[in-house]
Amino acid sequence: MGQQANAALPGGFQIEEYTIDRQLSLGGFSIVYLAHDRTGQEVAIKEYLPNSLALRSAGEAKPAIRTEHQGAFRYGMKCFFEEGKALASLSHPNVVRVINFFRANDTVYMVMEYERGRTLQEFIHKHLGHISERFIRGMFVRLLNGLRVVHSSKLLHLDIKPSNIYLRVDNTPVLLDFGAARQTLSSDSSMLKPMYTPGFASPEHYGDRKNLGPWSDIYGAGAAMYACLSGVTPQAADARMKRDQLIPAMARWEGQLSDHLLETIDWCLNLNHLYRPQSAFALQRALLENSKAPIKPARPASWFARLFARKS
Amino acid sequence: MRFTIYQESRCGGRKNNEDRMAYSYSRDALLLVIADGMGGHYYGEVAAQIAVQTMTNAFQQEARTTLEDPFWFLQKHIGNAHYAISAYSEAHRFKDSPRTTIVACVIQNSIAHWAHAGDSRLYLIRQGRVVSQTHDHSQVQMLVDEGVISKEQAETHPERNKVYSCLGGTHPPEVECSRKTPLHSGDLLVLCTDGIWGVMPGDILAQSLRHPDLARSAAQIMDRAEAWGGAQGDNLSLIAVRWEENYEERSQSTISTLSMGPSEFTTRMEEFGRNPNYKSNLSDAEIERAIEEIRAAIDKVGFKK
Repeated sequence: MGQQANAALPGGFQIEEYTIDRQLSLGGFSIVYLAHDRTGQEVAIKEYLPNSLALRSAGEAKPAIRTEHQGAFRYGMKCFFEEGKALASLSHPNVVRVINFFRANDTVYMVMEYERGRTLQEFIHKHLGHISERFIRGMFVRLLNGLRVVHSSKLLHLDIKPSNIYLRVDNTPVLLDFGAARQTLSSDSSMLKPMYTPGFASPEHYGDRKNLGPWSDIYGAGAAMYACLSGVTPQAADARMKRDQLIPAMARWEGQLSDHLLETIDWCLNLNHLYRPQSAFALQRALLENSKAPIKPARPASWFARLFARKS
Repeated sequence: MRFTIYQESRCGGRKNNEDRMAYSYSRDALLLVIADGMGGHYYGEVAAQIAVQTMTNAFQQEARTTLEDPFWFLQKHIGNAHYAISAYSEAHRFKDSPRTTIVACVIQNSIAHWAHAGDSRLYLIRQGRVVSQTHDHSQVQMLVDEGVISKEQAETHPERNKVYSCLGGTHPPEVECSRKTPLHSGDLLVLCTDGIWGVMPGDILAQSLRHPDLARSAAQIMDRAEAWGGAQGDNLSLIAVRWEENYEERSQSTISTLSMGPSEFTTRMEEFGRNPNYKSNLSDAEIERAIEEIRAAIDKVGFKK
């Protein structure tokens, strides 16, 4: 199968009411661009472009899709619509906002709000070894607010990882990339090609996926917290199922952070989904309880601003 | 099988938690069980643990992928749990055998089957109302049934926690089975111990669980029941399941062979080649419709530029 990269639309390219500035990221299924609208407002535009099915050469706008791939290309488009629908119906400060959706260049585009900041992954690389318990608790409690809204709309994110968690300048998190999100209630979802990230995907992501649930996103959140401390991707769940070499957080960082937080991380990373926190709410409650420095939800911005000011 | 489940147990005002609970499921069957070990007896929690383990072990052995006869299963293994507790107590020479209540429920093919002994309860809640519940095996409940005392008097009766049927006692338990109960999508099955129902009437429980976020509303119930129980409050445990399938739909989609002639055959085979779903071509009109839908959702939330 073609692993050639698709050519991104060039800077200055006009599409609907937007002007492309540059490419932000390139994935197997899509390209994300930074663009601005007529008022100068910056937006992120995600272009549906699965590189195994559609190939765009430099200088072209429309991708070439072979006739035999046409069916699969449109089928993948359905998944892209699912993502759009999922996000459009949610409105939460910790979940990325969709502001427009349109069809052009024989494919489809989703326009999302863009804010200045960086991903948690970038943050981890910059601050490795200095990420505090307060930061982890406070940031994940807020992220879980977003995840709770996602779950209560009967959706699962299924790709929670540091590169999908975006930190605004004040360090409040935004959950990004619902490319793997699935409506838990749609019965034919098992037919969709699974998308996940080894290391952050739960054991239920592998195999027949019938046990996927909120606890699968909890595994991802636990793995992301683990990565905040280790700086690297944890051992993948399928490998752990064969031979578990993941050192429990409790054993690895004992004494450096509170036992309670380390236990909570290990709780999330349990291979048996029944032994994890069963909901985002349960994990949130665990992160809020027993913390020596209680977080005041009423004034999050100042709390983070102070922390951030000290860090940089 | 599609369902949402929540379970939690708390100590309340007591020193230990003698409640035990579990759920277990195969591809096509779900078992729920709660046991309340009795405080007046030694090692109530041991009895409760044995009861819950006996049920879940048996379920894991027998469900292939459904149980042949759920009521028979419930009867038999609740009985077995009783004897297992007695045997344990003999082996350890307990002066007084530990005891426990039990309520267990099996759901398969969107039909619920439950059985109980003692005063742990199951509620079936449909559209915010209790449509069915277990009948406590307590003297006080009997007095209510006979019209000797009123429901209100029962709520504060000093003997309200005494049960006449339980596991581990000198007599085998009286196990009461429900009827086969077809479930509707959205139905809630709630199993709880007296730490919950003793402080929270069924209709309030039903109302409180109306919120779509089951985990949140169930956790709130736990908080409230714990607060109302106070410093002397009993152990409290709750399993709540929201069933997401419809028995009706299911029965309609099953194929009836009764209408077929004796020499008729129906054959369905998968096509060769790729996943047939890949062929379900999205037409241009469908694409336009999907985009319209998304834009409508954006408008509704109010961020359309």
